[in-house]
Amino acid sequence: MKKAGSTGVFIYNPPIAIPYPFDITEITCYLSSFPNVVRIWQYPDFPWSEKNLVKMITEHQLERLVIVGVLCGTVKTLFSKAMTLAGKNPRHVYLASFDEYGIELTKDLDRAKSLLAHMITDIPMEVNPAGIQPITQPATLVIGGGIAGIQAALEIAYSNNTVYLVEKSGTIGGKMATFDKTFPTLDCAACILTPKMVEVNQHPFINLMSYAEVQDINGSPGNYTVKILKKARKVNVQTCIGCGTCAEKCPAQEPSEFDFGTTMRKAIYIPFPQAVPNKYMIDAASCIYIKNGKCRACVKACPVPDCINLDEQDATVDINVGNIIVATGYKPFNASRMAEFGYGKFPNVLTSLEFERLLNASGPTGGNIHLRSQDKKGNWIFTADTPKPHRIAIIHCVGSRDKNYNKYCSRVCCMYSLKFSHLVMEKLSDAEIFEYFIDMRSFGKGYEEFYERIKSEEVEIIRGKTAKIEEKDGKLFIRGEDILKNDLIENVVDMVILSVGLEPSEDTAKLSAMMGIPISEGGWFNELSYDIEPTATIRGGIHLAGTCQGPKDIPDSVAQGSAAAAKVIRSILKGTVSQEHDFIPQEKIKSYLAEIEK
Amino acid sequence: MSVRLQPELRNQLIQFGIGDWNACYHCGTCTAICPLSEKGFLFPRNKIRLMQMGVKDELETSVEPWLCYYCGDCTKSCPRDANPGELMMSLRRYLTSKYDWTGLSRKFYTSGVWELGFILVFAALVVIAFLFLLPAYGFKFTTELTAQGGVQVNAFAPWEYIEIFDWSMAAVVALLLISNILRMYYKIIWKDGKTTVSIWTHIREFWLLIYNFVVQPRFSKCEDKNYWLSHWFLMSGYTIMFIVIVVYLEWFQTDEILPFWHPQRTLGYYATFGLLFGLFVAIIGRIRKKRIKFQFSHVSDWLFLIMLTLTVITGILIHIFRINGMAWATYISYIAHMAILVPMILIEVPFSKWSHLAYRPFAVYFQQLKKHAVPRKSNQ
Repeated sequence: MKKAGSTGVFIYNPPIAIPYPFDITEITCYLSSFPNVVRIWQYPDFPWSEKNLVKMITEHQLERLVIVGVLCGTVKTLFSKAMTLAGKNPRHVYLASFDEYGIELTKDLDRAKSLLAHMITDIPMEVNPAGIQPITQPATLVIGGGIAGIQAALEIAYSNNTVYLVEKSGTIGGKMATFDKTFPTLDCAACILTPKMVEVNQHPFINLMSYAEVQDINGSPGNYTVKILKKARKVNVQTCIGCGTCAEKCPAQEPSEFDFGTTMRKAIYIPFPQAVPNKYMIDAASCIYIKNGKCRACVKACPVPDCINLDEQDATVDINVGNIIVATGYKPFNASRMAEFGYGKFPNVLTSLEFERLLNASGPTGGNIHLRSQDKKGNWIFTADTPKPHRIAIIHCVGSRDKNYNKYCSRVCCMYSLKFSHLVMEKLSDAEIFEYFIDMRSFGKGYEEFYERIKSEEVEIIRGKTAKIEEKDGKLFIRGEDILKNDLIENVVDMVILSVGLEPSEDTAKLSAMMGIPISEGGWFNELSYDIEPTATIRGGIHLAGTCQGPKDIPDSVAQGSAAAAKVIRSILKGTVSQEHDFIPQEKIKSYLAEIEK
Repeated sequence: MSVRLQPELRNQLIQFGIGDWNACYHCGTCTAICPLSEKGFLFPRNKIRLMQMGVKDELETSVEPWLCYYCGDCTKSCPRDANPGELMMSLRRYLTSKYDWTGLSRKFYTSGVWELGFILVFAALVVIAFLFLLPAYGFKFTTELTAQGGVQVNAFAPWEYIEIFDWSMAAVVALLLISNILRMYYKIIWKDGKTTVSIWTHIREFWLLIYNFVVQPRFSKCEDKNYWLSHWFLMSGYTIMFIVIVVYLEWFQTDEILPFWHPQRTLGYYATFGLLFGLFVAIIGRIRKKRIKFQFSHVSDWLFLIMLTLTVITGILIHIFRINGMAWATYISYIAHMAILVPMILIEVPFSKWSHLAYRPFAVYFQQLKKHAVPRKSNQ
């Protein structure tokens, strides 16, 4: 490293300014310990004219000037001008302004010394004076139990710190739990995810609150009070043994949220067989007892006494946390908004998430691909009794990259669509698959290779998004332009999958108002800096993880979950929630100085 | 065959009204949603590509812009706000200027000064002719009325002379238009150099031209059926007026006031109603901007509408003043009518927006010819 040139130090403490917090002689002693400090001046013999200053600079052959003190910025111009007049670089005037760097009390002497050391030795420094609040609460709140939330919660819990994980639905796992395989590795999603979910449930430092919502956030960074609404599950999570006798007897049926409405569930239900917590819950909206006051079939069937309490009411709890990680994820684009594709009108126009369930071995058809049919009550559901489709079309960019809907690219649709092609080929060897795309965005590690692999699997990949789907005799007619062949293609298929994009989940705006975090274009939470602080927010102690910050795939969500956890753990270890770079400790400066001496 | 790229083309096209030439990302939604796009004649997307790359030769020889009737579905569903519908409209303006060999069309489309100057000069010539030329031949402004109390129009503007003038103007316009259509034929059918069309096909498919001129069936294929109706009224009204004025002026411009149900009057009223109805829909549409085809108006669109409206209004005024015996008012509105009509016909029919009355049906005919084209025998 280059050694800083000979330096003159001016201690500026005019009587009108705020008095010094500590003894000047001590500062002077510390300053004179630096070898490159040639002269030190104090206020009484302060050279008020340029002429005197120039004389001083030339006399002592000063290369650099440091002004130490309170409100010293007011005299900087004079010093810069003098440097120019003396033929030196006017930029070599440095301010060590105590008031700017938060040095106010006697106990800040160490901080003052580091500041001076930085200025005098010209060690690059990024310091920010903003207040450093002492952290009072070591606990952390994670909002959202998807893969990003799970990852963050586990990272923090394994550093032996308490985590509250709040999940809105009855089970953690999020969207990833509904997937069959992940791209591009074609790993079984459940095989990777469920062990983590169980880990969350069993970890002594994680306090899992499923079927709960954040209602209010108060307090300041490092000490937030969060009001959490625990919705009435009406089944005791401690005593429920998950036997399922209650659901067998329950007469009420509703479309399953977990299967995106493609199967029916009872009013007392488990979201899916590997749910965590694996305990039953009652949906108040469909329960006959809650609607009519008569039924109680589940209570009669339950083998555990007092396990089901149909009169349980919602409750709120207050928790105190120091840091919050927001991992609220996304919701799929509502495909019925694009009327031209006929989603919601034609039964075999599916969204990608519905198709994920159809492909899933634990899904409605046991992983076999069947056409969608209507049950007696008119719900469009998946069963294994219907014929299998032979021709399947996949349409990319539904609701993404479209100024009428969402302008942004949803990042995952191209790859999951290619994954669908592969999985269909695997399950229906005689199927013909048509992928309609605009641009293929295979940007990640192994993605382009995956694309090449699918291309070699005899999948028709057509450049050109279609515009209209029409149904005739149960067949779907698709009209589209093949841009590379410059031809119009009119295709007849059995099933169409709409690769819907990602949108911020419903509560994003509500949470943003609650926490004071801005929302960016597109409705996603705004990070502090896209490049270098992707997990931080402008509010100290609140971090972002996963798709709530912007569309991303599973690897990126997991990475961001870990990154947010790292920020939290650092904050807990340091005892502050400051976002800023901290001062370098005195020992480090001393060793650095010793190095220059050599 | 090599393709010459001329990127400066898009700057030229901006003057004809294209918007953001770079917005399109080629998803093909517009082509897929278009009810008129068909195999072998794909648009609008691939025309946007040609425009973006500046493939001038291929653009100039394409028939597709004329096959688009601007229903606006493409613009509505475009994910990039690239406005393909207006792009096709701009291409039609551009092609009109390319078919025209005089170069005036280009001037009128790209320069308001030229267009306005042309109108004013011809309007002035008409006024001078009525004030000085016709009186020199002994025709006069007379306040003497006929026995029925009507104005003696033929004493001031004798139908024989006006008809001669009508015929000569029709000849000039027709000559220009026919030469432009021949250039269009050359560009679309001959210039691609790969195919040839037999004479028999030319004759066999000729009915399409008449059929498309009269009924405009492609227009009704666009989603918007109401607009087909109002456009058809406008077109039929104009055609009737044109025939009556150019061919049967003796029968139409009489001093005698005929009974209301006489075909002279009913035909005239129908034509006026048709014109007014069509104009009303178009003008209100362009002001309210609800229909996509009316959202983007080029100067030439407005000028055409205003001039045609003024022509119709002055025509109605002549009729009202004449049967009520208001001599001077009749003469003034007659002169105004002619002063607007003459420059309008001279500009619009061969050089500008109105030329589509010929290009549209011919384009359908040429498209049919192209479908029956056979590969040309190579000379090499």
